[in-house]
Amino acid sequence: MKILIAVSSKEYSKSTLNMGMQVAKAFNASTTIVDVGEKINDFSLKDVSLVRERMESWDIDRPGIDVLKWAFNYLSENKFIELNSIEAGFSKNTLVETSRGRLEVFLKGTFCDNVSLILRNGDIISELRDEVEVGDYDVTIIGGSKKGGMAHDLVQYINSSILVVNQFDLNKGYRVLLAVDDSIGTWKAVQYGARVAQSLGNGVDIITVSKTNSFRKGYKNASKKSSKFLRRLKIDHKCHFKNGEPAETILQFANDNHIIIMGNSTKSPILKFFSGSKPLSVMERSICPILIVK
Amino acid sequence: MFSFSNRSLTDILFWVTRKKWLITSFGLCFLFFYLPSPEGLSSSGHRTLIIVIVALILIISETIPLPAVAILILIMQVVLGLDTADGVASSFMSDAVFFIMGSLMMAVAIVYQGLDKRLAIAIVNITGNKTSRIVIGFVAVSAFLSSFIGEHTVSAMMLPVALAIIRNSGRQVNQSSNLSTLLLFSIAYGCAMGSIGTPSGGGRNAIMIGYLSEFGLANISYVDWMKHTYPILIIEIPLAALILWFTFTPKQKNLDSAIRKIKVEVANEGKLTDNQWISIFIFLFIFFCWVFLSPLLGLGIIALFGIFLYLSFGLIDWKEISGSTNWGVILLFGAAISLGIQMKETGAALWVAETAISSLEYIFKDLFIVRWFISVFFTGLLTNLLSNAATVAVLGPIVLDMGGNPIIMGIATSVASSFSYLTIVASPTCMIIHSTGIISSKDYLKAGWKLFLISNIILILVSYFYWPLLA
Repeated sequence: MKILIAVSSKEYSKSTLNMGMQVAKAFNASTTIVDVGEKINDFSLKDVSLVRERMESWDIDRPGIDVLKWAFNYLSENKFIELNSIEAGFSKNTLVETSRGRLEVFLKGTFCDNVSLILRNGDIISELRDEVEVGDYDVTIIGGSKKGGMAHDLVQYINSSILVVNQFDLNKGYRVLLAVDDSIGTWKAVQYGARVAQSLGNGVDIITVSKTNSFRKGYKNASKKSSKFLRRLKIDHKCHFKNGEPAETILQFANDNHIIIMGNSTKSPILKFFSGSKPLSVMERSICPILIVK
Repeated sequence: MFSFSNRSLTDILFWVTRKKWLITSFGLCFLFFYLPSPEGLSSSGHRTLIIVIVALILIISETIPLPAVAILILIMQVVLGLDTADGVASSFMSDAVFFIMGSLMMAVAIVYQGLDKRLAIAIVNITGNKTSRIVIGFVAVSAFLSSFIGEHTVSAMMLPVALAIIRNSGRQVNQSSNLSTLLLFSIAYGCAMGSIGTPSGGGRNAIMIGYLSEFGLANISYVDWMKHTYPILIIEIPLAALILWFTFTPKQKNLDSAIRKIKVEVANEGKLTDNQWISIFIFLFIFFCWVFLSPLLGLGIIALFGIFLYLSFGLIDWKEISGSTNWGVILLFGAAISLGIQMKETGAALWVAETAISSLEYIFKDLFIVRWFISVFFTGLLTNLLSNAATVAVLGPIVLDMGGNPIIMGIATSVASSFSYLTIVASPTCMIIHSTGIISSKDYLKAGWKLFLISNIILILVSYFYWPLLA
């Protein structure tokens, strides 16, 4: 299992890193923390590189190094990396340029073999997409954004499960809200949900929503199978059957005290692009963390 | 049956969304190609304007890399039958392109010598510890130096100095504060203002001189240019410092300890090295060649001679120059100049100029105001969306076809293209300070609009009252 956590600054990304590392720990996953800096336009690319070289001679860090330092300190304080890495401290000299404009620090993790810190520059979606392609990540974790179209682009173009950390408070007792139906993606979502629930320890709500007054057999079976799976893992859970518009109902139930976990839509990418999808609709309006499992 | 997997469809969709402006520009290209030519515009002029529209969309949207835009301009000129392959190739390379190439390489060579620390100590020795004086010093030194060696070089040398002062004043380097914003804008705006001072201040000046000479309108020497533009620069320096100071007034009115630390830091470097001395002498030599020999040899050849000297004296190796020079920009400007010449030759520039004048005359009722609006105000606005050199390359032939004194029109356009105060993409210096993570896009507007307005007024007054006296 490989997890990619995208951070931007200590002010805005603390909760993303907190939650990301919790999830990574739950899955014993190799973890990469990436900071994607702003895109530099072609006219100025070389000039900016030249300036950054000169900044080094004054011992001034290039933008982004401070974010990696902060992430390193967080990992150290929470003992997510091994003692010898902690004792060595963060040194920008250990940043390796693994490809053009991509700098990486390799560390040894405590709950997994590899923890690395990466610095990239460019369009956030393109850079994350590229990182996921190269690193073959299973889950990408990112903070919530008010930028229009961000949720759409994440779900549409990033080829991994997506966890968007909206307003996460570490001290809040979040329950997992598993949205299940008879779609293909549900089962993988249940498996992921179980792992997250084991880590959080606050139980699971399984929700099945039907647009009509009755529930299809497939829906009932999906709920039953999920419940059985969680029972076997001794995870406290409750099943809920609701009627209504799915996205709206899930959001109402989730409020701000759940972590929503649901499978990705099985619609074709073209249909999703033009008409959207249920998970996308939930993600766009969610006020709590949401994981779309692909 | 052939079908796409979901993965392939996603890849295609991703490409389409990322390249929507490329697709739009090609769509418009086909549409305009099959529309009849407007009255008064030749068929070849019509096709030239299609290339201009495609190029502008692609440069502004940054949907494909700049070198790809440059290559597309060259290809389209041949494919649309505007010129032969040999004709396009010969219009692509000119002294102005040599100059841009030489000055970008010289910027690398000079910055590579590490003269920034010497510059830092020189500035603080002159200005002392008061923040207000340091700001005036930053604006003035940036403007003065960039007028001779180009804004890229100066901003690359000045930025670390400013960041070192910010760090030594006890602030986080990457944290925004009035002091950090003030110092960084002092560099960016100083460099932008300074770049008009001499022909070697910016590639666009060389492009305009090239157009004036190529179109047989005027030959402007290095000193002639300075006589026109330096007064503007001198008037602008104190005004810019004042505007910046009152827009971003810092809490720290004195930077005693920061300056002391800088002095200690630089003192540890020892005296100027032999290579640094040679580097300074080479630049001074090149400067004198520009002043006295440019009418004979051309600005570009002299700039290339400078590179020859830097390489021959072993001050920098070719790998370093080659790796740090923005070849994409050189290609783009070469292609843009080639397109500019095509606009002139096909009558496209004249048609745009006449159409703009006749349309705007309805609004402004006065030809002088119309010319001013296009050569100054419109250039200033476009430079903030495009890039200053690309703006001059595209607008130059149009402005020079609008009538009036070509020297005044040409230099006014070039000067207006330095009013790159409003956006991040307006000039490399704006992008350089933004890349520190300290300056947000809103900051550019805070002080930028005031400076933009005042610069326009100064340019109009100087071009109306002073420049005619030089004729």
